[in-house]
Amino acid sequence: MAARIGYPVWLGMGDAKMDGSWITSAGIDIGTSTTKLIVSRLKLVRTSSALSLPRYEIAERELMYASPIHATPLTGADQIDADRVWAIVSGELDKAEVGKGDLKSGAVIITGETATKTNARAIVHRLADRAGDFVVAAAGADLEAYLAGKGAGADRRSLRIRGAVVNIDIGGGTANAAIFRRGKLIGTITFHIGGRLIQLDETGMIRYVAPSIRTWLGANGYRIEAGIVVAFSMIKDICYALSREMLRYFIGGNVALTDWHRNNNGLIAGQSLEQVPEIEEWMVSGGIGKLIQERAAPANLAEMAIHHDIGPLLASALRDCMQASSLRVVDADETVRATVIGAGMQSMEIGGATVHLDPKLLPIRNLPVLKLELSAANEGREEVVRLEAVRLEAELEDTLRTAFNLFDPEAVPPFALAITGTRTMNYAFLQHLADRLESRFTHYFPRSGIMVVVCERDIAQALGQALQRRCEKRLKVICIDQIRVEHGDYIDLGEPVSGMMIPVVVKTLAFPNGAR
Amino acid sequence: MNPSLELEQFVDRVMVELERKFGSDTLTDDPKSESVSMEVKGAVSANASTLTTIKVPKPKWQEGLAELIESTPARIGVWRTGTRPLTKEMLKFRCDHAAAIDSIYGEVNEQILSRFDLFTVETRYGNTENYLKRPDMGRIVTAAGEELIRVKCRSHPQVQVVVSDGLSANAIDANLPDVYPSLLDSLEAYGLRAGTPFFVRGGRVAVMDHIGELLEPDVLVLLIGERPGLVSSRSMSAYLCYRPRKGTVESDRTVISNIHPGGTPPVEAGAYIGTLVHKMLEQKTSGIHLDL
Amino acid sequence: MNLTTTVLGQTYQLKSMKEVLAKANEEKSGDQLAGIAAEDAKERMAAKLILSDLTLADIRNNPLLPPEKDEVSRVIENAINEKIYGEIRNWSVAELREYVLRQDTGNDQIRRISKGLTSEMVAACTKLMSNLDLVQAAAKVEVVTHCNISIGQRGVLSGRAQPNHPTDNIQGIKASLFEALSYGIGDAVIGINPVIDSADSVKSILLATKEVMEKWSIPTQNCVLAHIKTQMKAIRQGAPADMVFQSLAGTEDGNRAFGIDVALLDEADELIAREGTGTGPNLWYFETGQGSELSAEAHYGIDQVTLEARCYGLARKYKPFIVNTVVGFIGPEYLYDSKQVIRAGLEDHFMGKMQQIPMGVDVCYTNHMKADQNDMDNLAVLLAAAGVNYIIGAPMADDCMLNYQSTSYHDIATLRETMRLRPAPEFERWLNRMGLMDNGRLTPLAGDPTLFM
Repeated sequence: MAARIGYPVWLGMGDAKMDGSWITSAGIDIGTSTTKLIVSRLKLVRTSSALSLPRYEIAERELMYASPIHATPLTGADQIDADRVWAIVSGELDKAEVGKGDLKSGAVIITGETATKTNARAIVHRLADRAGDFVVAAAGADLEAYLAGKGAGADRRSLRIRGAVVNIDIGGGTANAAIFRRGKLIGTITFHIGGRLIQLDETGMIRYVAPSIRTWLGANGYRIEAGIVVAFSMIKDICYALSREMLRYFIGGNVALTDWHRNNNGLIAGQSLEQVPEIEEWMVSGGIGKLIQERAAPANLAEMAIHHDIGPLLASALRDCMQASSLRVVDADETVRATVIGAGMQSMEIGGATVHLDPKLLPIRNLPVLKLELSAANEGREEVVRLEAVRLEAELEDTLRTAFNLFDPEAVPPFALAITGTRTMNYAFLQHLADRLESRFTHYFPRSGIMVVVCERDIAQALGQALQRRCEKRLKVICIDQIRVEHGDYIDLGEPVSGMMIPVVVKTLAFPNGAR
Repeated sequence: MNPSLELEQFVDRVMVELERKFGSDTLTDDPKSESVSMEVKGAVSANASTLTTIKVPKPKWQEGLAELIESTPARIGVWRTGTRPLTKEMLKFRCDHAAAIDSIYGEVNEQILSRFDLFTVETRYGNTENYLKRPDMGRIVTAAGEELIRVKCRSHPQVQVVVSDGLSANAIDANLPDVYPSLLDSLEAYGLRAGTPFFVRGGRVAVMDHIGELLEPDVLVLLIGERPGLVSSRSMSAYLCYRPRKGTVESDRTVISNIHPGGTPPVEAGAYIGTLVHKMLEQKTSGIHLDL
Repeated sequence: MNLTTTVLGQTYQLKSMKEVLAKANEEKSGDQLAGIAAEDAKERMAAKLILSDLTLADIRNNPLLPPEKDEVSRVIENAINEKIYGEIRNWSVAELREYVLRQDTGNDQIRRISKGLTSEMVAACTKLMSNLDLVQAAAKVEVVTHCNISIGQRGVLSGRAQPNHPTDNIQGIKASLFEALSYGIGDAVIGINPVIDSADSVKSILLATKEVMEKWSIPTQNCVLAHIKTQMKAIRQGAPADMVFQSLAGTEDGNRAFGIDVALLDEADELIAREGTGTGPNLWYFETGQGSELSAEAHYGIDQVTLEARCYGLARKYKPFIVNTVVGFIGPEYLYDSKQVIRAGLEDHFMGKMQQIPMGVDVCYTNHMKADQNDMDNLAVLLAAAGVNYIIGAPMADDCMLNYQSTSYHDIATLRETMRLRPAPEFERWLNRMGLMDNGRLTPLAGDPTLFM
């Protein structure tokens, strides 16, 4: 035994090897009205001691470049002009002095009403030459809310207080709210509330009323439609009512929720929360968040309608209502760029550094995940052990058959198998698991040249080598760990950074729908 | 980009994803959807669900206390009687200490040694008291042991694996069955050949140097029981050295410590030790000079 | 210089000052391991008898490690006030012991002669003292230092909050720290031993501790006990460090094994004065421990008590805020059992105080030592009686990162109540404001870490 275990004197004498390395990541948000890009640096540092298995994490995220806000070039009502969008993006990447090959991670998020299949397909095609650089995701309201909440800093803020923090990202058409408690997302909800739902000019002449808000307006006695002229006071009433009702949803308490729904039919897009958690603070990001932080309340139609919409008035109404509420109001770290910053800076994680893979196979993008949960085994007499083996066999058979039904068996690789659970992973079990897994995978996916396994616990290298032994040269095994994924997630495995650090982006489609 | 994954296939895959998304209202009802995406989850703890009993009678924030206790293995939130610890807490501490003491004076299970075909040699340690006082004697194999090694072992192996009880015989019993075969698999995967393994009773880390002189391996791996702690009395270390010889300094050795089911995972450690051996042979060095 | 004596009819002829000092030590496994210990009890007594008649001038004139060969020796030699040395040079070591123990020798008198003493003279004196001698003499010395607050006053027992975590998890570190604060611990320092020796990690821990200090207006100081070079790098990157830390050895070679030398310490000294966040003038934290030179094979055949005294001689140059010996950490090959650990703890504390060092002790043991928590209770009480500046506070005395046992938050609170000692005055006022302490006693609120969430 070294005389001073715990103080090994030869370690860490200002050792440069323990210092981190930086990688560059980009985020691109293509929305209904605006397109923006950010470039950030992420610092990867070793977070395990020199006496442990290597483990790295992202220690710092630094914004390097934020593009101006561009109007999204459209060819139809919400049809993206992919060529012109890509021209903007390429131009901005040049301005940010990001060369081809510099990016180690990046996310393109298509948001709002432009998040359609056609648009996504067009964009994916257009970035063919840089496809390896980016993760593409079409954000639904829940993902947008989550990313905006992260970009606005609501998750970090919630770690500093006891109660929950809600960030409401309000743009032109929707208000996407994400609730965080102690750093974790506990719910998302979307309202049909936005700055451009009602468009009008300086004279009060209504140009447009979004269909999504018409039900609510009618039910609340506001008769308003394109072509008519309204008074400033009426618009003001609407903005205050919308703000008040949205906030009341969060603080009215669960008993009042039924009541709330009766009065606000149509105001919520998608599903309501099963239960509204106790909220302590709120913040607002998005275009309305920026107006709240930067602009005085408009006093008349002319001051309000500078962009021919109700944005400035909605912002001041919301500010007033929030301040009058019992909750604390805090400024979001980011407003208009919250979503893109959330996407570009907050979406990546680093897997365990003991892995089994061939770097030449990476990156792999948009791989669907299927989960295999291995619960703690019953231990005991021989027949119990035999029963356990039968159970594992059945579980594996089940999982792989499901995979066969869900995924393209010709794809290389077809999917990622996520292994989670409380089962003790000793050597004997690992061999058995590798044995059965190899057999079932080869049965269902005989022509797939690559098998991808994602483990929750730190066993990837051992499991990977056990699998590879059995697969020999027929099948290449990629096994990574310390990443938690769920059914329905998609993952992206980036190219290894300085050796064996694998940047991983997990895209979750399933979001919590209630307070826990 | 993976060359075998053509653009069209990639596009299709994105589309499949989107397809699911747009038709995904049911997904949000999935009761298993508690986990949250894109978040750095750090080390995934094995049994975060273990319920902690709250001993502080009227904490200012009950929920916060559970969060604190879960964030560290340190003995916190333990409360007090007067200024002294509660009885159960004090006894728990003493139990952990008792386990640690017992493992120092234990013996490695012979069945485990024979299961892995390890023959036994001894150092000049004599007895446990002397072993503790005279680490220098735990660094030298007895004359009889030297002879046995010469007779039984292949000389100049690429990799020589040695196992020793060190300060915790328990550590070997608990971890060898996972670490050792995993290490052998890993060596095989790298195409490396291991020499004849054996067990050293009463060994210290620097016994590597004496064995290095005797067998002249390229890399020597010593799996040895660590000084027991209160968290685990069954923790093992792996010391690795490229061409250990008399006079090798500590900084030439590479160490992986805290190997036990609650620390560095044994099976993974075994696999990773193989990687380290591979790198040492490639770079012809070890310790602080090794580029990881 | 007479190196001959007769004990119980047997004549002993020792060869050198080094041999006399080594053999005069109380039994230590480390001296036995080095092969320099007395053969038996009689030889030990012969060495003590010879030593008692040697003069302070003999010790200075027969250096164990000449200044021209060793920079630690040079630092010690350069610090001597020749006037004061001149006044006491002809004292025998026995006379030095008796002077220190006289009723009319108090704090001021000891402070004065300390200017004329070398570390070796202090070590020599220690070898002639019983445990109770060491307690009584050390209790006379008051060494008050100031970083952000003052500690070390008579009647004050401070505690280092040591909220270590096995993976440097910031939340986990904070959790242990909150527990410490809720027991009134942390006035000496909030000091974390990091697992990861990188500037990034050091910086993030310093930032986190500073944040807690600022949020709750805690009058104390922070420190991360990484290697000095790592701390310097972190400070240059803007990390808020009130103090710098380093482990010291008693020889130049021993320090080289730690990756340091006097030039580096000087550089760090300048840096912390210029870029540290502490008020000062005392901006250093040192740790030492008997046996570290032998473990680094840099002991030159000198015994571990004398080498330990030399660490304090080196530390004095930097006017530290706190210094502690990590007395039982190093293992049974240096200190075998509780008897040796208790003796070493009292020796180190006395030798530090005699050299005007603001001395604390990490009262501790590892599991392969013949010692247990009861022995730590004993040593902690003895040191509290001897006026130790601070001891270590680890949750339930169990450090889950360094894997050894020390003293607990509970222990410090208990020592304060039973020995009528108080936290540092400014810290106690803060505890009062927080409602955790009243009239020097913990209130019913104490022990709830969620007070700081």
